[in-house]
Parts: sequence; structure tokens; C-alpha cells
Amino acid sequence: MAIAPRANAVREDLLRVEGVTKIFDGIVKAVDNVSLTVATGEIFALLGGSGCGKSTLLRMLAGFEAPTQGKIFLAGEDITNLPPYQRPINMMFQSYALFPHLTVWENIAFGLRRDHMPKAQLIERVESMLSLVQLTKYAKRKPHQLSGGQQQRVALARSLAKRPKLLLLDEPLGALDKKLRETTQLELVNIIEEVGVTCVLVTHDQEEAMTMASRIAVMSEGYFLQIGSPDEVYEMPNSRQVADFIGNVNIFDGVVEEDESDHVTIRSADCLHYVGHGISGNSGMVVGVALRPEKILLSKEKPAGTFNWCEGEVTEIAYFGAYTTYHLKLKSGKVIKAQELNNTRDLSCGLTWGDSAFAQWSDLAMVVLTQ
Amino acid sequence: MNSRMINWFSQSWMVLVYIFLYMPIVTLVIFSFNDSQLVTVWSHASMRWYVALMGDGDLISAVALSLKIAFFSALISVFFGVFTAFCLNRYKRFVGRTLLSSMAATPLVMPDVIVGLSLLLMLVSMQHWLGYPERGLFTILLGHALLGTAYATVVVTSRLREMDSKLDEAAMDLGCQPLQVFRLVTLPLLLPALVSAFLLTFTLSFDDVVLSSFLSGPGYSTMPMVIFSRARLGLNPTINAVATVTIVVVTCAVIASSFYTSHQERKRRREVAQAYSDSNK
Repeated sequence: MAIAPRANAVREDLLRVEGVTKIFDGIVKAVDNVSLTVATGEIFALLGGSGCGKSTLLRMLAGFEAPTQGKIFLAGEDITNLPPYQRPINMMFQSYALFPHLTVWENIAFGLRRDHMPKAQLIERVESMLSLVQLTKYAKRKPHQLSGGQQQRVALARSLAKRPKLLLLDEPLGALDKKLRETTQLELVNIIEEVGVTCVLVTHDQEEAMTMASRIAVMSEGYFLQIGSPDEVYEMPNSRQVADFIGNVNIFDGVVEEDESDHVTIRSADCLHYVGHGISGNSGMVVGVALRPEKILLSKEKPAGTFNWCEGEVTEIAYFGAYTTYHLKLKSGKVIKAQELNNTRDLSCGLTWGDSAFAQWSDLAMVVLTQ
Repeated sequence: MNSRMINWFSQSWMVLVYIFLYMPIVTLVIFSFNDSQLVTVWSHASMRWYVALMGDGDLISAVALSLKIAFFSALISVFFGVFTAFCLNRYKRFVGRTLLSSMAATPLVMPDVIVGLSLLLMLVSMQHWLGYPERGLFTILLGHALLGTAYATVVVTSRLREMDSKLDEAAMDLGCQPLQVFRLVTLPLLLPALVSAFLLTFTLSFDDVVLSSFLSGPGYSTMPMVIFSRARLGLNPTINAVATVTIVVVTCAVIASSFYTSHQERKRRREVAQAYSDSNK
């Protein structure tokens, strides 16, 4: 349920991270020479598994950790050595970190009070924040008197109250249950866009990153594997790691046989791939061919032609309602996944366990991975 | 054994343990209302010893002294305990951290006699060389605060450890300087721990006899010291009366506080449940 790409007007860079490295205890390299820029108004996601360094990077942006090397600029100003309380950056914590001894109202006013905001203006700001997250009637409650979703909204209001230049979200939906997540995701994006704040979010959930962010940086072992828009990262992964991390993928190992400017053919153990665009490589090169399960069409009849199909036996069927995932065991013993949309109420391709089936796909469905 | 037997056995065991624990106290309370001059022989009920207690200036002033020392030593202990605990918990690296953390806990395991004796030796030589301090209220206070700080540190540390350190970060993120974080977030959340540390150190000081005996000077006898010295000369039923008064006060305080805590806990649980059922409507 990716949101339509936002209009790409010319924007200034708000955040610039230059060659930032963080080494803990002199040995553990959590973040390894990372550089990135985030434009004003953008929602930027750092995506990666646990221990990939995404949280450490976020904490350096907030000022809780100092980079071992490198610099961080916000709106052209070097903030590398500023303490957190002097940065025009606010963070929404994963566990929300609401002050349990203060009411919702006081939680939201907390940051404003530190800035000695005049009372009338403070009241107005807090009230507007409360109505933004629709918690006006809960203003007098303490955090423990709120449900998880409400606490999350208080945390958001508190981090937006000071009108930060940059908003940091640490696993913003991590503490909510699955059903609440989907509605909250959109709600959160709507609020962020309404306020117009630039945002960096950290998540391990690729769906969350793809739904919310305008750009995603896929991280592993402290560095960026790929930075791009959600569809770029999904449809044009630049490495096996990215293809594997974002969504499901079948990867065929093969050798380039024919390398032309408008197409390449690749021979793998189970089939011959005809890729309808050129690649940066040469014949004889060992590559991976990535193919997403939803781009495969299953049928009982043998396809015509010599390219882009293979035969196998159905070993598993997982019915998800909207679609069904079939596991197909190929001759070489490789198992591939194919997703078929259930667009009629009788299960369209009529395959069952043990059936022999043919998988086919178009010449533009594949991505050739050289790394 | 069937379950009924086990049940019967465990219940009678419980009763035995209660008798063992509370029989002496119950006896003491009963005998405080005894009219007889002899502590162990019952004649008939009277308030005679309570009346005698009113007129016993020594004992009354000893109780007053004990209360005063307990109150101030508890204050001092909590004050230093908070800072020690905070340093140990929040600053993971500074010169002498290991030393501080082990030294802070040492008075807990060190026998009181040794602590008292060494303090006495120090004070005596200080008095010899500096002419200060005179032994009395101040020196007892010093000893009790020393012991109390160790206990307060333990209590506060355990609370700090279970506190979410993200709260500190959130406060800093919202513009608090470190000292403001402490004042506006850490301290209010520590309040229950401060109260229990205060009560614990107060009690410790109030019933201490060993340190007080070493550190007191002429004219400064705490209540336990008076009771102890009178007991050696032959028990006087006035002691029973003063003990009963103490027990009644302590029991009332304990019951009141446990009622209050369980009431708060129930209220809190109700509110949490309410919050979730509201949001599901």
C-alpha cells in the first residue's frame, strides 16, 4: 500500500551527514563511513536488521552519541558537537518515553517550558498539538491512563511541539499491534506532512519503511547498501543483500552467455533467462538473476519459446486470501516461490500439491545482480 | 501424604512461625499493662507504668534525642545516598568508580562494632589534635549517617536501575540541561525510593545501640542505650511501656502505608484497564 510518490519540487538539503563513523570501545564499528543528505520536507527511512547501525546513526543525529569521525550539518550549520538540548531536533522514542509523573498536557508543554515560551503562546501551542493528534479530551490524563495508540500520539505531539527542524522517529510503530499499525502508519504520515517537518525514521520493518518514506537507505553492518525511493529499492536492488532484505525474491545463479546492448541471455541450472535490457558486464560473467514471486505466472501448459520459463513440482501452497504462494521444486532441486493473485473466486490456476507446473515471466521482470 | 495433610501441616507450620516471631512482642505489650513491680509476674491490669513513663525525664529525653538523631541522620543519608547512587548508575566511567561502588557498600557488611570502634579512635585523635569534635549528638549523627548512606545508596540504586534511561534522553532531547533532567525528571520519579530510603535509615538509626554507645558523650543517651543500660540493672516495667508506645506507632505507620500503596496500585490498574477499554469503543 505504497503512497503515491510525492511531487519532487526542487528542495534544499536540510541534513547532511559527511563520512560519519562510530566506533564503540575502540573496536566495535557500529557505523562505518556513512554519508547522506536529506532534503527539506522529506521522510527518510533507515532500514536494516538489528545491529546494522541504524539506531546508532539516529542517536548521533539526536546528539546522544558523538561520532568518532565525520561531521553532521543541519541547515548548513555544523552540529556535530552540539549537545542534544541545543539541537533543533526532536525525537520520538520507540518506547515513547513519556514522563509518567506528568499529564498529557504537561508532557507536551515540557519542551516549550524549557524554552521559556510566554504563557499565552504556550497554551495555544499545546492546545493545537492536542487537537492535531486528536487527544484534546485526554489532556488531563497521565500516560498510564492511555492506550498504546494514544501514548504514541502523545509522544508524537510532544516531539512536534517545539517545531523542530528535523524529527527523528525510532521504530515509530514498533510497540503497536499489527492491526493498529496500518491505520497509525497513514495517520502518522498525514500528520507529518500536515506539519511539513523533515523526518528521519529508523525501522526494521520494510513495509513500514516503504509505506511511510519517500527515500530509503538500506543498512547493513554499519554502511549503506543502497539509497533510493521505495520502488527503486524494490524493483532495482543493487545487490543480493538488498533484494533479499526487501520482500521475497528468487535468485537464480547463472552465467552470462550473450551480452548485447539491448538484451542479455543468462544460463542457469534450470532455465535460460532472456533479459530485455543491457547490463554492465560481459559474457562469461557469473551473476544472480533476481525474480520477485509476484512476477511469475504459473500454468499447467508448457509455454512456447525457449526463454524465461521453467518446470517444477508444487510442494507447498500457502493461501493468503488475496493471493496464494506456491513453492515450486525445480529439477535441480532449487525451490522457487510464485505468488498468484486470486482474481476470481475459484482458485484460478487450479494447481494442487504434487502437480507438475510451469512458471513463466516476462523479459522485464528480472534484475541482474552482479554483486 | 495427601493434599489435606500437606495443607494442615503448612498451616500449622505458619502458626508456629508466627508464634515464634510475635510471641515476645505480644508478651511485652501485655506485661506493659501489668501492675506488678516484677516484669515477669502478672498481678492485674493498670496503666501505672504509662504514668510512670510520663514522669521519667531521662527516658523521655532519650526518646526525643533518638527521634532527632534518626530524623537528621536519615535526611543526610538520603541526600548522600541519592548522589552516590546517581553517580554509580549514570556515569559508567570515571576514575575511582570501582572503588566508590565497593566502598559505598562496605558499611553494610562491616560489623557495627568495628565501624563504631574505628570511628571512635578517629574522633578521639581528632579531638586530641584539633580539639574538635566533642563527642555527643553530632558524633552519633555522623556514625548513623555513615551507615545510613550505605543503605540509602542500595535502595536508590535499585530504583534507578529499573528506571527507563530513555526518560533522561527524552528530557535532554526536549531541551533540559543535565541538572534540569535531574531536577525535573529523575528526582520526581525517585520520590517513592527516597521515602523508603528515609524510613529505612530512620529505623536503622532509631534502634542502633552499638554505634551510639561508641560515639556518644556524657549527657547524650539515645533511647536504645537507656533501655539497654536499664536492662542490665534489672528490668523496669517502664521500658515495656515505652516499647509498647513505639510498637503502636510503628504498626500504625506500616498499616497506613501499606493501605495507601495497595490503594494506589489498585487505582492505577483500574485506570490502565479503563484506558484500553475506552480506546476500543
